[in-house]
Amino acid sequence: MLSAPGRLARAAIGLLLPASALLSGCYAVGPSQGGAQVQSSAKPRDVRPKDVAVPAGYRIEKVADGLTFPTAVLFDDRDRLYVVESGYSAGESWAVPKLLRLEPHERWTVVASGDKNGPWTGAVYHKGFFYVTEGGTLEGGRVLRVEPDNGRATTLVSGLPSTGDHPTEPPAVGPDGYLYFGQGTQTNSGVVGDDNRQLGWVSRYPEAHDVPCADVTLSGRNYATELGQTGAFLPLGTPSVPNQIIKGRLPCSGAIMRVPLVGKPDPELVAWGFRDPFGLAFSPQGRLFVVDNGYDERGSRPVWGAADLLWSVSTGTWYGWPDYSGDRPVAAAEFKPILGAPVAALLASAPGRPPRPAAQFGVHSSAHGLDFSRSDAFGHVGEAFVAEYGDLAPFNGKVAGPVGFKVVRVDPETGVIEDFAVNRGKRNGPASLLGGGGLERPVAVRFAPDGLSLYVVDFGVVTASLDGPQPQKGTGVLWRITRDE
Amino acid sequence: MANHSRRVADAAALCAAALALGACGTARRGEPLRGPLVTTESAQDRGRIVFAQNCYKCHPGGEAGLGPALNNRPWPLGLKRFEIRHKIGAMPSFDKSRLGDQDLHDLMAYLAILRKHSERTQEPFEAREASR
Repeated sequence: MLSAPGRLARAAIGLLLPASALLSGCYAVGPSQGGAQVQSSAKPRDVRPKDVAVPAGYRIEKVADGLTFPTAVLFDDRDRLYVVESGYSAGESWAVPKLLRLEPHERWTVVASGDKNGPWTGAVYHKGFFYVTEGGTLEGGRVLRVEPDNGRATTLVSGLPSTGDHPTEPPAVGPDGYLYFGQGTQTNSGVVGDDNRQLGWVSRYPEAHDVPCADVTLSGRNYATELGQTGAFLPLGTPSVPNQIIKGRLPCSGAIMRVPLVGKPDPELVAWGFRDPFGLAFSPQGRLFVVDNGYDERGSRPVWGAADLLWSVSTGTWYGWPDYSGDRPVAAAEFKPILGAPVAALLASAPGRPPRPAAQFGVHSSAHGLDFSRSDAFGHVGEAFVAEYGDLAPFNGKVAGPVGFKVVRVDPETGVIEDFAVNRGKRNGPASLLGGGGLERPVAVRFAPDGLSLYVVDFGVVTASLDGPQPQKGTGVLWRITRDE
Repeated sequence: MANHSRRVADAAALCAAALALGACGTARRGEPLRGPLVTTESAQDRGRIVFAQNCYKCHPGGEAGLGPALNNRPWPLGLKRFEIRHKIGAMPSFDKSRLGDQDLHDLMAYLAILRKHSERTQEPFEAREASR
């Protein structure tokens, strides 16, 4: 016979367990509550630094606003500040890609501009030249060398497989003097699907598909689309067969490549098996780290619950795409969509076993650019600061609350992530959702050459629906965070 | 006996009501809003790493993300422990091969201190920033 407290506990658990199950069940049928699920507004963006919270001892201020789709900030050898405007946003919104130099009184000088082949995803300055990565939505990705005095651009690398979901990503110069850059995948998870038609590129490139960096053998698993069964690494409507071999080649999808800046700039493979290796940076110890955007819950092969990842990159390693998220196979039950079937492996045998990632960001946080603190005066030396662009729910999956829309810092040794710059308020989210004049979509961060300031590139307002993203031109902002104690 | 039964029913109803009202407070516990989280036991430090490697991706900082917020719900930690071990609803389960007993113990220690983190410091931080 149970005592009264015992019965009380049993009754409480008896009620709480069904309640828990009920609440969890509500998740499956309830609406998504993403940060971009707000009506677009034609009003100019309000920018108020006091609406952004940073840790005690730090201060945030606006450097510039009114930018269109900015993606990067950089400095030359005279410490002059430059911003890249990408010229393109998902949602098929086009503008002119530009490299801009900040002059006194918030004036901008156009150093170079591009054609309709954005987005320009990033740039670095190295030994007298700018190196720009051109996303290549219409003509394929490129790496450009730009002369500072006249803006003349020379193509170092072309023909990168960038006409799909993910472009050629921002560059970084390594301690070895090579230029490193990421190349995103054509698709979400290896199979061209109806989601790609919705994004617009399948009508331009109906034969496009992912390209492996080395030969892979397929399992023969196909997925249904409106144009028929489709297999991995094949065009829409083309099925695969078991043990079919897809030849690998360079340049390839989902990879980090590098080119020498002296001599012939032929791309070399650094590592592969990434999905969208956006943020690339070398730690103070010279280790290469990359922020890799995880799978979405969309398309014919949707993957649920896949985090964005921070990887410590080792040369020659395969990092798991399209069959792993981190070191876990996506065929495992934990990645099964709530109302769908689990996905199957696309590869008959994996090229390797991916290592454990250095850190896992929020699912759909769209972790993008990163940089490492090197200054004791700023603090957190050796930690990675990462810009989180924020979710695009419901387009890329459902969330229970806005994810991202902030800057975080990461201890790459432990994987612990802490907020660093967030909007004030009872809940997280972009300013366009919360009201106020805070952050929208941080897309890149970079420390000033003296290490005392962290610049944050805020892409601007992008709302989303099931039809896809809806970006707003002229709403980008450059922020600066400094330590004031 | 009838008295006992009524008390049990009242308490259970209270728990259910608390559960329903659970999300009233804010779940935000990050350093910019609440100040740094100061741990007092090594288990909490270890639990922070366990959280980062297993939980953060769906509950960033204990806030809502892919999954619901953890910090502002009055779940008894024993129930949370049960939910982690046994699949309930959408959340995957973590058996002992993925999360050992010591890891689970440390995780609970971290979740407890995160939930209580420094509500009192919010006002001075907010006031100081707002006065700038």
